[in-house]
Amino acid sequence: MESLADTTWDVIIAGTGLSQSLLALALSRSGKKVLQLDQNPHYGGPDAAFSLDEAQEWVTGVNQHPGRSPFEDAKIFTYQHLPDSPRSPPSQNDSEGSEPLAGTPDIRPKLAASRTYTLSLSPYFLYTRSALISILISSKVYRQLEFVALGSWWIHTGTQAADANESGATSIFHRVPGNREDVFADTHISMKSKRTLMRFLRHISKSPDDAERDSAEELLVPFSEYLSSKFSVPGDLLHALHSLSLSQRSAQDTPAEYAVPRVQRHLSSIGSMGPGFGGVVSKYGGASEILQVACRACAVGGGAVALAIGIEYLEDEGSVNEEHPVQVQLTTGESVRSKVVVGSVWDLPGQEQSPPSAQVARSISIVSSNFASLLPITTEGQPLPASTILMFPGDTLSHPQSPPVYLQINSSDTGDCPRQQSVIYGSVALPGPEGHTLLECAVDRLLRAEGPQAMILWSMRYTQSGRFGNDGSPATIHKHSDHVYSFPPSSLDLSWEDEVVDMVKEAWTKIVGDEEDHDDFMIFEDREGTSDD
Amino acid sequence: MSESAGANAPKPSSSVKLVLLGEAAVGKSSLVLRFVNNDFQENKEPTIGAAFLTQKCSLPTRTIKFEIWDTAGQERFASLAPMYYRNAQAALVVYDVTKPSSLTKAKHWVAELQRQASPGIVIALVGNKLDLTNDGGDSSAAAAAEAESEPTSGEGEDNAAGEGEEQDTASGDSRKVSTREASSYADEEGLLFFETSAKTGANVVDVFTAIANAIPESSLKTGRGGAGTGQTALGGRSGDDSRVNLGDRNAATAKEGCAC
Repeated sequence: MESLADTTWDVIIAGTGLSQSLLALALSRSGKKVLQLDQNPHYGGPDAAFSLDEAQEWVTGVNQHPGRSPFEDAKIFTYQHLPDSPRSPPSQNDSEGSEPLAGTPDIRPKLAASRTYTLSLSPYFLYTRSALISILISSKVYRQLEFVALGSWWIHTGTQAADANESGATSIFHRVPGNREDVFADTHISMKSKRTLMRFLRHISKSPDDAERDSAEELLVPFSEYLSSKFSVPGDLLHALHSLSLSQRSAQDTPAEYAVPRVQRHLSSIGSMGPGFGGVVSKYGGASEILQVACRACAVGGGAVALAIGIEYLEDEGSVNEEHPVQVQLTTGESVRSKVVVGSVWDLPGQEQSPPSAQVARSISIVSSNFASLLPITTEGQPLPASTILMFPGDTLSHPQSPPVYLQINSSDTGDCPRQQSVIYGSVALPGPEGHTLLECAVDRLLRAEGPQAMILWSMRYTQSGRFGNDGSPATIHKHSDHVYSFPPSSLDLSWEDEVVDMVKEAWTKIVGDEEDHDDFMIFEDREGTSDD
Repeated sequence: MSESAGANAPKPSSSVKLVLLGEAAVGKSSLVLRFVNNDFQENKEPTIGAAFLTQKCSLPTRTIKFEIWDTAGQERFASLAPMYYRNAQAALVVYDVTKPSSLTKAKHWVAELQRQASPGIVIALVGNKLDLTNDGGDSSAAAAAEAESEPTSGEGEDNAAGEGEEQDTASGDSRKVSTREASSYADEEGLLFFETSAKTGANVVDVFTAIANAIPESSLKTGRGGAGTGQTALGGRSGDDSRVNLGDRNAATAKEGCAC
């Protein structure tokens, strides 16, 4: 293999998360000599996606090297399903791989080959009006990606006996109306509530310069108070509207200034790319696939990527070496020089950093059901939903002050798993065992309602540190020295946060300076030989 | 890239993702450049400069549109992304007939493909730089290498190449990898096998035609992507129905954009 020290680099980017990979691509097309490093043997850092075998290796690594990544407390569970006890307790297994099911031929559902799964550590989806989608299109990167549509949102209604007319998972969930037609067609909402809801929807759809828009003070109150005092929204609708904001805090702990723009974003996204959907999921592991395409596009533009090579330490010697001021000592023992170094806080050891401000418990479950009833087509011409969001309000699992649990079900159409199976990604803003108990409870309720054929085949859980979009201060690049910058910890939100695009652009702008027109960020012409044809 | 006007009824057209693998400087990009543009550059820079190149290959009953993916140099630091292999239906593993170590490397890539790629992938092993051997590499000598799509039918050609080998040494022949050695390896692994010269063009089109013929009709779909997994739609849910084309975003009406 060639030596990395043979080249002096314009920019070294530490980490291959999506933000770093987008930056690498942008810089490579601005004529910069870019080296991207990742201390892990795989792409993606916190945005990685794994096969079953890779997940096993990852769990071992996380537990062996605490503090080297935003993850902790990772465990994998395999399940032994006996014919007479479909939901027997899991066997814990945090370091060794084991055969989950004996090789005897039977009709019980079982795991497929390891690599037929791509399990995403941070499974966010993209709203159709997202700035990320705009740059994926303007950079032509989207041509190497496949996207599938997100379906409806669902609210868990508690565990009361199933409606006689409904069977399967829909018996314990109500679909959240996503537009006016939905509201009118909804049979669960009273006429009075419908009028209230329409009034609220009309209100938040007003243009920004409308005199009746909320003042900043009006939005400082909790979302629950905003809805009840201003619109007299009844409790059941509160949960529905809360779920559209995707806030991971309870409605009491979610400021209206956070929730209202996000509900607006949700509603304005629906239909903007095609009938009946407002979000898309990148196939084969979400962000992981996008960042790999970005890294490849960077390589096509002349950049280099090296995996399993981290930074041991670095020094900005700007005063003695003006041309390539940063000396970077690599974990391979090599030493390389660069004009600028940018990375995530986890990839730049020795740089002081602000600690992550939030933690979530996450789980990934592979389940033997396709949850077709939760993925209906609701609008003519709508693409078949491949993914759906379920929200369990705190009081349905624990108490009203508990944060909600969100489950995202990805069908096999997302490419995350084989046919007739689904991957359920769970998230709750409660770290550690407390959060994992809630996640387990939510998944269990879903499976019980879905029916006996829905069994967990494999699951993994972990705790992730990062930040929420509503932490008050906007996320920005942190400057460690004249030539060393870092990205803040990753967002823990369930949808891609557009402020990350702004941050990537900020970093790109700092590095290219006046050499490029800043309006040309991530706008690339087609290269020879590529076409839509 | 318009279809030739001669064809009355358009033949079914399918996209096939083809990935290139092989040691640096064996001529991966040159082979593609010869196939796509019928061009050769003596001192080509070591990257192709495009995400992928496309070229159509017309068969009697159908048209195959190859999407040819270059490694873009990612193999230099062992960082070839898993997405590179994703849904690839064909692979070209290239070595240099004048460099034995490049065949060793090619075997490594074949093993990697068997580990990472879709199970039904069609792999062609290609010994390039035939022009540096006494087999010439001009088109008339092309028959020295197996030109059939059936990997097991090459006994006669093997003999012919074997004779060529015995004659060569005295006359500046740089061949270091015998046709027999590479061909028997390809037979063992069930690979298509060719020797080519990107410089003269010898056998280059034949490689792609053979690959196109070897791809089972059942794994072909029109449009791009997704065909390599060999999965069939069950329960009426097909992956195609859920796909969203980001390029179409402006075509959609925004009538639902407002909730009221």
